[in-house]
Amino acid sequence: MDLASRIGTSAPTDEHTAGATRDPTPNRRRRSWAGYAFIAPFGTLFALVFIVPILYAAYLSLFQQRLLGGDTFVGLANYTKLLQDPQFWDGVGRVVWFTLIQVPIMLLFAMAVALALDSLRVHGAKFMRVTIFLPYAVPAIVSTLMWGFMLGVKYGLFGSLNRALGTSIDPFTPDTTLISIGVMVTWAFTGFNMLIFYSALKAVPRELYEAAAIDGANEFQIIRWIKLPALRGTLVVTIIFSIIGTFQMFNEPQILQSMVANSGITTHYTPNLYAYHLAFTGSQQGYAAALALVMAVITIAIAYAVQIRGLRNALDR
Amino acid sequence: MRLSLKAKLLSAALVSTLALTACSGGGGGGTGDGGGGGDGPVKITVWSWDGTVEKAVPGFEAANPNIKVEVVNAGSSQDEYQALDNAIQAGSGVPDLVMFEYFAVPYFAIPGKLADLGQFGAERFANDYVKAAWEHVTVGGKVYALPSDYGPSAMFYNAATFKKAGIEEPPATWDEYYEAAKKIRALGDGYYIAQDTGDPFFLLSLIWQAGGRPYQVDGTKVRIDFTDEGSKRAIAFWQRMLDEGLVNTKIRGWSDEWNRALNDGTLASQIMGGWLTATLPERAPKAAGDFRVALMPQWSEGEKVGSENGGSAFGIPEAAQHKEAAFKFLEYFTHGEGVAARVEAGAFVPNLSVLQSEEFRGKANEYFGGQQTGAVLAEASEIVGTGWQYPPFFEWARTIYEDIATPYYTSGRGSLAEILEQWRQRSAQYGNEQGFEVS
Repeated sequence: MDLASRIGTSAPTDEHTAGATRDPTPNRRRRSWAGYAFIAPFGTLFALVFIVPILYAAYLSLFQQRLLGGDTFVGLANYTKLLQDPQFWDGVGRVVWFTLIQVPIMLLFAMAVALALDSLRVHGAKFMRVTIFLPYAVPAIVSTLMWGFMLGVKYGLFGSLNRALGTSIDPFTPDTTLISIGVMVTWAFTGFNMLIFYSALKAVPRELYEAAAIDGANEFQIIRWIKLPALRGTLVVTIIFSIIGTFQMFNEPQILQSMVANSGITTHYTPNLYAYHLAFTGSQQGYAAALALVMAVITIAIAYAVQIRGLRNALDR
Repeated sequence: MRLSLKAKLLSAALVSTLALTACSGGGGGGTGDGGGGGDGPVKITVWSWDGTVEKAVPGFEAANPNIKVEVVNAGSSQDEYQALDNAIQAGSGVPDLVMFEYFAVPYFAIPGKLADLGQFGAERFANDYVKAAWEHVTVGGKVYALPSDYGPSAMFYNAATFKKAGIEEPPATWDEYYEAAKKIRALGDGYYIAQDTGDPFFLLSLIWQAGGRPYQVDGTKVRIDFTDEGSKRAIAFWQRMLDEGLVNTKIRGWSDEWNRALNDGTLASQIMGGWLTATLPERAPKAAGDFRVALMPQWSEGEKVGSENGGSAFGIPEAAQHKEAAFKFLEYFTHGEGVAARVEAGAFVPNLSVLQSEEFRGKANEYFGGQQTGAVLAEASEIVGTGWQYPPFFEWARTIYEDIATPYYTSGRGSLAEILEQWRQRSAQYGNEQGFEVS
């Protein structure tokens, strides 16, 4: 119903815009065809790997797969079921919490490192830059395995620490697993964000610093009034990337689940993990497709809201 | 309305299955034993994660020059089932023979995705296998697969650790097991008789042995009940072990920590499928010579009842192209001459001819201190309690078990009975959504 009315309202506008470009001169038209030829390779790939899968997922999401009776068309039933599914919301809640806490910590960290490197007062800046970026180059699977061993209680680093200090901290209980994953993710992605901040800082004209120095500004004032404002746009981009990243969280919980006992990682720990589980062990591809699309919409909405807010602030300045 | 539609679809599926069966059955009769089953050479594709199947290929190809066999590892268990479902849905790339864990046979057989092997006269093998294994490949009175390997539950124990705790003989009853657990726990320093972090297969094998039959499957009707006498008995026993802290609930099976604990002897025993005989030497090389195998402890003295933990079979998809050739190979490596080559390579098969042979029973196993493990496992196979069934949606059910069990295993709040009740409810919900009638 809702969808149909939307299509109904958008159709005339399409015609309208089509009509507006209907009569270009022949000469012009040839030129525009050449343009299409140039973007055709991109367009084809974009359609094949992006548009078609999305449309296919949307199509799938209208069906229910059953062991008995095969596929049946169920309309939007998968969506209504999803919105009432406590396991889905459990996963969504978890990634939202994770985003609210982990992303600010990681970005502050990345920004601090970028500012330190940019201040030219750090020895071996090049070495530092590579070292901090390096974790990003480690595949998530490898890094999770590594952290899993490091945080292991019986034989890992934490086990030794606990024995030495007489404590009994377990990084993988249902209450602490998310924190441990936060540590892993921060370790892995700080370098990536640092590099983005760092290149943004590199784009600031050096003359500004000189001028500020002549006006008597100290290093902190330069940071406060020149460098941080210069990072504002970049910050919006990194926040959006990070939100998308955490909303898609999959590798870490998926690997830890089989590595650590009773870590509290369920089959619906994150929405992506849930979708995977539904599609590949529950044979509920339609429901999983609906979940994926709903998550995409939620992610887009949040990313968009961040962008609007970020830009509004930038314009206020 | 919904019911009648379901019934229609079901009967349609049945009719088409019957029709297909009739067709290929007729074809089978026509070609009979005439070599490859067709005119030209045929190539069959086999999906298997069991490495021993390949060992049977050379002998088979030599005897059947018209049939070429390609064995492919399409991933194990879950991955393979998904790939098979996809291939069937896509209508191309369907293999001719596929490996299934026993619990997955009804999942494919009931919706008509597996060929009824009755058309090839598979029933004639019924008495050649361990009875419980044969039951797994029979769904609704029809044979859909042939058993290829077996996992009778057995107790693998570290005799050195047992000795250290003052236990000379492996516990023969669960009461003795409980006493042994206390003695081993008294060694301190992380010593436990067993580990459990919520393993449904172990708990089910315990229930199985105690006579519980929580799943009753009749066509599309499934009954789940964890409150029968046998189930209650097994659950109460394991609950007591957990309550008294006699079981390590921190170490997950198959993890790095598990390997280490088996190596250093702090994990004194494991009650698992017979297949652990082949895996244990890789997992715990340092404990070589210390481990022994015994029958699962019994519920009352003098009894001899066992259960299963794992095992698999091979079936032919309904959509397979060369069913007849596939069956020839299937028969060869699960029942015929190909079995010997596989046993040689370490396969543990439920064929009575193998289990009863002196050669298999008398072979000394170096890793187990020269013990004749074959004899123990053969006995464990033959005493497996019959009448056990898995619901068709067990593959899904087992993956959510841990979701439900974790809160209990980490906080101690709740009980096994509550976990199983929740599990029953969620399984029933899923089963009903999938078109079954679950109560």
